[in-house]
Amino acid sequence: MLLLGQILVNGVLLGGLYGLMALGMGLVWGVLNIVNLAHGALIMLGGYCVYFLYTGAGVDPFAALPLAMAAMFCFGYALQTFLLSLIIRSAMLNTLLITFGLDVMLTFLAQLFFSADLRTINPPYAGDNFDVLGLTIPVAPLAAFVVALLLAGALSTVLERTRTGRAIRATAQNLTAARLHGVNPRRIYALTFGAGAALAGAAGGLYGMVSQITPYVGVTLTAKSFVIAILGGLDRPLGVIVGGVALGVAEAATALYLDPTYTNVISFGLLVVLLVTRPAQLFERA
Amino acid sequence: MMRHLPLAVGAAFLVALPFVGSESLVQYGINALLLATLAQGWNIIGGFTGYPSFGNSVFYGLGTYGTAIAMAQYHLPFGVGLALGALLGAACAVVFGLPILRLRGPYFAIATLGLSAVMSAIVANLEIAGKNIGLILPLFRGDRLFYELSLGLLVLSTATVAWVSRSRFGAGLVAIRENEDAAQVMGIDTTRWKVMALTLSSIFSALAGGIHAYWITFIDPASAFDSTLNVKMVIMTVFGGPGTVMGPVIGAFVLSAISEVLASSVSTVAGAFYGLVIVLAVVFIPRGLVDVGPGFRRLGWRYFAENVRRHRL
Repeated sequence: MLLLGQILVNGVLLGGLYGLMALGMGLVWGVLNIVNLAHGALIMLGGYCVYFLYTGAGVDPFAALPLAMAAMFCFGYALQTFLLSLIIRSAMLNTLLITFGLDVMLTFLAQLFFSADLRTINPPYAGDNFDVLGLTIPVAPLAAFVVALLLAGALSTVLERTRTGRAIRATAQNLTAARLHGVNPRRIYALTFGAGAALAGAAGGLYGMVSQITPYVGVTLTAKSFVIAILGGLDRPLGVIVGGVALGVAEAATALYLDPTYTNVISFGLLVVLLVTRPAQLFERA
Repeated sequence: MMRHLPLAVGAAFLVALPFVGSESLVQYGINALLLATLAQGWNIIGGFTGYPSFGNSVFYGLGTYGTAIAMAQYHLPFGVGLALGALLGAACAVVFGLPILRLRGPYFAIATLGLSAVMSAIVANLEIAGKNIGLILPLFRGDRLFYELSLGLLVLSTATVAWVSRSRFGAGLVAIRENEDAAQVMGIDTTRWKVMALTLSSIFSALAGGIHAYWITFIDPASAFDSTLNVKMVIMTVFGGPGTVMGPVIGAFVLSAISEVLASSVSTVAGAFYGLVIVLAVVFIPRGLVDVGPGFRRLGWRYFAENVRRHRL
């Protein structure tokens, strides 16, 4: 029983971080209708930002998160303005292809500049933990979970309560109508993609604290984000976090009761069954 | 007649290549031909029907394992193995196509991706498939034979696609791609046609897998069900021109050549450059390489500017 509880704790904490990874992808997908295959690469870049701020400048990783997010926001804003806006009305396969090309470029550039070494962001409190009711709660994953929740809440608030957020939602629902009401889609798209990249950056920094960063982590993280974004729904930030938690728990339980090699089978198999049996209800608002 | 002259010259050159080219050129040729066949197979479901399948690497893997199990475990001849592999691939396409093809767009893509993860894990736990270790096929050295076999398969798949593009069946697939609801209203049995397209696509993937297995003589789950192979099929098809007859072949040849040339230089820079080629291609030639000739004749250099103008915000 205690073991199950511990598994649940680990799964939930890791799942929050998974949810944060998917948050940016779901946002971009829902608003720009781009399935960003380079999302994992953006997460990876965010991880390197925080890593170098910590090892190079001695900035505490959690203090470095906002800096990394700002840098990734600018990068994403520029990427959308100068490149992706050129193909935004192209067929879906083409947007898939261009983001794949970006993913390849970013991966190899990261390998060129940062080398293929495994990097871990290792602040002094990385190994700390405390006990609650006999369960061990690791500090760094807990902090990552809290940050993920805060960011999802912040995104939700911005989307629901601010003028810009309303413009973003309007653009997602109906581009033409939004334009008629004075929304500048170029700015909204750039802001949205920038926000997606910033969220990816934060996820990358946190991921570097609980796992390892290499130039090649992107692909797996993209696949995970994709699954969670679908599970959680594209326009519900807190739903995405719940989707991430579901995946995290499912993976942790599979690793315990079956075999670690089956984690992908379970998460993807679950997804396929969900998709095939009740797509309409699940994606009504997507 | 003159219109077909370049095609005939090209075909004669391809047939004669293994008798004049070096060993490494022939090996590169086999890879390029098999990749072109895979791209052509993907073209049927992805290019014509508009369903971005990531399950073609599963069919490839099943073709690989069908051939390997027949030859390594039951000592059956290669031809029987190939047939068994194709049968496995087609059966998988029908059984999983029926539920999965009800999904559209990205949802279909992720479901096929899931299929690929599930299948490779299942095979990795089967005794008859050699579990995680894989299987070793009887050794047969004959690069020329494998080359001509691959070339034959590519010609067969291209002929099939040429037939599809002119047939009622192909028109129905394009109708499904452009507007599935409208196609259904027009009286097309969309489910059946989509399953048929996926099955046709799976047969070519499985056959290519079978040939590759016997050529390489060693297979394991990780390489047989590698989903980056599927990504390659998509890229080559979209780069060349999806939903056209020659697009996937041209895309596969050009991209294989680029990556081969780049692989001999510094690999890291080469990888980044490969990504750059893809990015630029999407921006400037979104309908693929096959559209560049006609488009350029029509508009000159303005063709590229026109493509950007049409798709930007």
